This record gives sequence, C-alpha cells and structure tokens, in this order.
Amino acid sequence: MKHLLEIENLSVSFDTSQGKLHAVRNVSFTLEEGQVLAIIGESGCGKSVLCRSIMKLLPPSARIHSGKILVKGQDIAGCGEQEMKRLRGRLFSMVFQDPMTALNPVMPIGKQIGEAVRIHNPKMDRTAVRERVLELMELVGIPCPDKKYKLYPCHFSGGMRQRSVLAIALASDPDLLFADEPTTALDVTIQAQILDLIRDLQQKLHMAMILVSHDLGVVARAADQVAVMYAGKIVEIGTAEEIFYDPRHPYTWGLMMAHPSFAKEGEELSAIPGMPPSLLNLPAGDAFACRNPYALAIDYKEEPPMFRITDTHYAATWLLDERAPEVRSPIGGHRYG
Amino acid sequence: MDKNMILFFGKKLVVFAVSMFVLSLTVFYVARFAPGDPLVSYYGDRVEKMSQEEREKAEERLGLREPVHIQYVKWLENAVHGDFGISYKYKRNVLEVIQGRLFNTLVLGGVGFILIFGLALLLGILCVWFEERLVDRIICQIGVVTSCIPEFWFSLVLILIFSVWLKVFPSSGAYSMGRSQDVGDRIFHLILPMTIVVTSHLWYYAYMIRNKLLEEVRADYVLLAKAKGLGKAEILLGHCLRGIMPSYLSLMAVSVSHILGGTYMVEMVFSYPGIGTLSYESARYKDYNLLMVLCIFSGAIVILCSIIAQAINERIDPGMGSREDGR
Repeated sequence: MKHLLEIENLSVSFDTSQGKLHAVRNVSFTLEEGQVLAIIGESGCGKSVLCRSIMKLLPPSARIHSGKILVKGQDIAGCGEQEMKRLRGRLFSMVFQDPMTALNPVMPIGKQIGEAVRIHNPKMDRTAVRERVLELMELVGIPCPDKKYKLYPCHFSGGMRQRSVLAIALASDPDLLFADEPTTALDVTIQAQILDLIRDLQQKLHMAMILVSHDLGVVARAADQVAVMYAGKIVEIGTAEEIFYDPRHPYTWGLMMAHPSFAKEGEELSAIPGMPPSLLNLPAGDAFACRNPYALAIDYKEEPPMFRITDTHYAATWLLDERAPEVRSPIGGHRYG
Repeated sequence: MDKNMILFFGKKLVVFAVSMFVLSLTVFYVARFAPGDPLVSYYGDRVEKMSQEEREKAEERLGLREPVHIQYVKWLENAVHGDFGISYKYKRNVLEVIQGRLFNTLVLGGVGFILIFGLALLLGILCVWFEERLVDRIICQIGVVTSCIPEFWFSLVLILIFSVWLKVFPSSGAYSMGRSQDVGDRIFHLILPMTIVVTSHLWYYAYMIRNKLLEEVRADYVLLAKAKGLGKAEILLGHCLRGIMPSYLSLMAVSVSHILGGTYMVEMVFSYPGIGTLSYESARYKDYNLLMVLCIFSGAIVILCSIIAQAINERIDPGMGSREDGR
C-alpha cells in the first residue's frame, strides 16, 4: 500500500553568510490518508522549514540535501517549479501562522479565494467560481459570505482572516493540509474555535494534516501521530497515545513538564534549562545533551540512533540502549531497563 | 456619487483653491520685488531714451505705480473674470501667447511622462524577475550611469553627435520652417529632446519601482499565493504589482513637477518653442502677466495631479481611505 506522504532521511540546509545552517536533519516519517500528524518542538527547531520544504516554499538560499519526499509513491524532491505549481493547492496546501500578513492587503477576500479556485480549474466560468467561493466561505464559517465577498483583509478580524486563509487552502480539495501554527497569532479566545474548525474540516473532507505547534494542548486535541523535533531532528515519534502516556525521550519529558497541566499545585512550573543549540555549528553527539539532566557520557560523543519501542513508537535517546542505566520517567509510570 | 465622494471632492477643491491663491500671491510678490525693469520688455530699447516723466507715464499705463497689494487685488479681480492681461513683450492677450506654445510642451512633457513611467515599470519588473542575476545587474549599472549625467550636458553632447557630426536630427525647434502641420517632421524634431527627458528621469523611477517590488515580493502573502499554486508571473503581475500601485501612482503624481521642470530645461537647450522657454523669458524680462499665468498653470497641473493620485490611491488601497465602514 502506498502511503500518502513518506519522508525519507530529508535534510535541508540554508546557505548563510556564516556558513551552512542545518535546519532539517535526517527526518523520516510516514503519513496515511486522513491522519493528523502533529510536529511539536521549540521555536527554531525546524518545524516550519520541514513543512515548507515539502511544499518547496523555501527561499532560494535553502537546499534540500538528501532524502526523498514520496507523495503517493512518487518522489517530488527533485521536482521543478512548474511541477510543484501544479501540485500546490491541489495535492497539498498550507495555513500560515500569521493571518494578518498572509493575505494580500490590496485584494478583496473573495478574489483571493477565487484565484485559488480558478488556478486548478481554469475553465470554470465567473459565476461558478463565485458560487464555489461563497460555498467555501460558508464552509469555514464566515457569516454572510455574499456581503463579505468584496471586502478587503483590513476589514476582517484575525479569526476571520484565518478562516479566509483556510478557505484558500481548501479551495482545490487538497489531500494534505499543512497547518503551520495556525492559532499562535490569534486571540486566545479565538484559538480554540479555529482549531476545532480545522479539526472538523479535516475529518469532514477526509484530509490528512500536518499540524505544527509548540502548544501541547493543541496537539493533544487533534493529533493521531506526534513527532517531537529538536534542533532539526525528530527525536521521538509515535501515536498521540504513546507520546502522551508513555514518552521516552528526556526532551519530551521536559516539554510535558513545562506544560501547566502537568504542574502540581503550589509547585513551580519546571522548564528545560538553557537554549537550543545554534543550527550553524551543532555540537558533537546529541544536540540535546547539554540541556539533558539524564545525559550519558556517550551523548556527548555520538548521536543516538532511533530506537524502536513499538512499531509506531521510536525515540532517539541512548537511554533506550540496553547498556544504559535504569532511569525512571519523571512523568509517566514507566521504567526503563 | 454618494455623499462621501462629494465631501471628498469638496475638500480637495478647497485645498486646490487655497493652494492656487497662495501660489499666485507668492509669485506676484516675488516677481514684483525681484530686480529688473518690466518696461524693457514692453518698450524694448526705447526705454533707455525715455525721460523720467515718460517712464512714470508708461508705468502708470501698465498699472505698475500703485502699491503691490492693490496691483494684486486688481489682477485677481480681472483673473477671476478670465482676463489675465496682456503680455508686455508680445503685446497680446497672454492666453493667446500661451495657446500657441502649450501644445508643444504638452506633447514633449506628456509623451515623455508616459514613456518614462511605462518604461520604468517595465524595467522595474524586469529587474525583479531577474533579481540579482545578469539582466538585473546590467540594467542597474546602466541606469545609475544615465541618471548621473546632467541633462543640459547630455543634451549638448547629443546635439554635437547627432546634429553637428552626423547631421541626422535637427538641433532645435519643434518643426521645420512652414511645416507645422507635418506630424512626421514634428516627431523627427522631438526625438532628441524626448531622449533627454526620458533618460534623465527614467532610472530614478525604475529604481524606486524595483525596490518597492522587491519589498513586495518578500511579503508574507506571496508565500500564500505560492501555496495556492500561483506561478511567478501571476504573483508578480497580479499580486505584487497591485501592491505597489498606490505608491506608483503617488510617485507619478509627485514626479509631474520634476518632469515638467526637466521638460522646461530641455526646451531651453533645444530652443523648443514651448511653455518652458516662455517661462524663462517671461521671468527674465519681467513680463509679469505672462509669468503669473505660466506659474499658475504649472502649479495647477502639479496640484491637480497630486489630488488625482490621492483619489486613486484611496480607491486602490482600502487601508488608506475612509472606507472603514466596509462598503
């Protein structure tokens, strides 16, 4: 059976004035139709770059070094701009973090959605396009679409703009939706609404989705699969259940303990000490080692491979090696050894 | 036309009227107080032989002996009724004098203006399309060089090359003797001055458009447009160009005065019979009435253009206008 999306050992780097910046390192995962994969991690760990490199929306200074991007079995890593243009919108599309800047401020909303409709159906006539746009606006919950059709983004609130961006993303019925921190820039009161909407539509339209977030609460509500990224690498990946109830990587522990829902009454919220390493010159060994209270000597010398825990659950930490000392997870009841 | 529009144009009209009033007052006073003898332009060499008494009489006749503010009030009164007086030098109604020259300037300035902005947009788009590649670099280099050449010097060089050495193009005038109706001949005469008008301004505007477009191409919405599946041409021409249109139009409006000024300059060098040479003469020879009309005419064009640009801006850029109510 062909997976909808299969990423194999993808590495992406940027050429900067200070040298090569390794934004995505050796990432692999698979995604089935209709599934939601959440990617979590700190800012700057390569989540967005990963999504954008799959859609080839990166600036020219970025380069895909190695790896395969298989979409329905077909490798698109080497595809040119012309082919990508055909795939974007129809095969996959994207909802961006900041709806305030994602829409063209000098073009009416209806027209911007209409463009997305027409680009893959060039023969559609004007009234049909308009019908479809109104239908899409209705779908994403924009009230009175025929009145809002001619309005400009500046007349819309943040939530309404994000709904419009979503309408654009859904215009050509994509198989895969990238939601790149779709709620981060929104008002707290709107965040849940938009997230529920995206989740609903994802199920209704049976799309697969890659949800990028640094909010564990968001992820817990929506994801089937969770990948934890650190310094451009996936350090732990598994089903949502496995990640939330049986996390194995110290970084995942750290992330979860930093979430308010894990904090105990009256105790200080824990935080992961230090800063993520610069992706320009990564330290030898495990990039997380110097922030890791459970680091072993080997962590400073050699990068850990992905250890298999179950068929769906993998983590890259030496703690899973059979020679490693026994460590009790600070959150789960699980014991290594 | 809804109420907002009427209010909008009403406001602009008031602004226009006030600016014209201030302009006319300033020019009137400056011209009066600048050194020089207006009688020379009326009587020519005869002034030198005039007695003091004759001079006073002559000044009386031209209405120049009264205090300046009274002169201005009288001038304004007549002007409101459409009478701008006679030109001292040509001894005809100033409007008649200008009429013959106006067309020439409009052709040179107007066509030059259209060419400048058409080509500037084209060059800007070309540069952005080939950003930081050979085409862009070559255009930028040539542009910087041409925009640095002073126009009077460049005019003389062109005259030297094409009129004196090669004898291809005429060095002066708007048409050959007795062929004022011959379009081909007029175009032939226009080529050199037009080249100067266009080359001296082109790069400045092309460069601005290039930079504005480059900013626009880096905007976040381009990413969404790309994610939709739009191609480079659709994004650049359909989205980014739309984004720079307000600044492009205001640039056009602001530049009217620059290009008009440049046109006047070029007219001088090529002895092109237009408003520019006329303005120069009238200012030099104290032909007060003619000078007033020319200044007011030039000023009106400049102010009108900026008002028009503002109106268009508010139509295109919804954020700038007063359409907050969302209709």
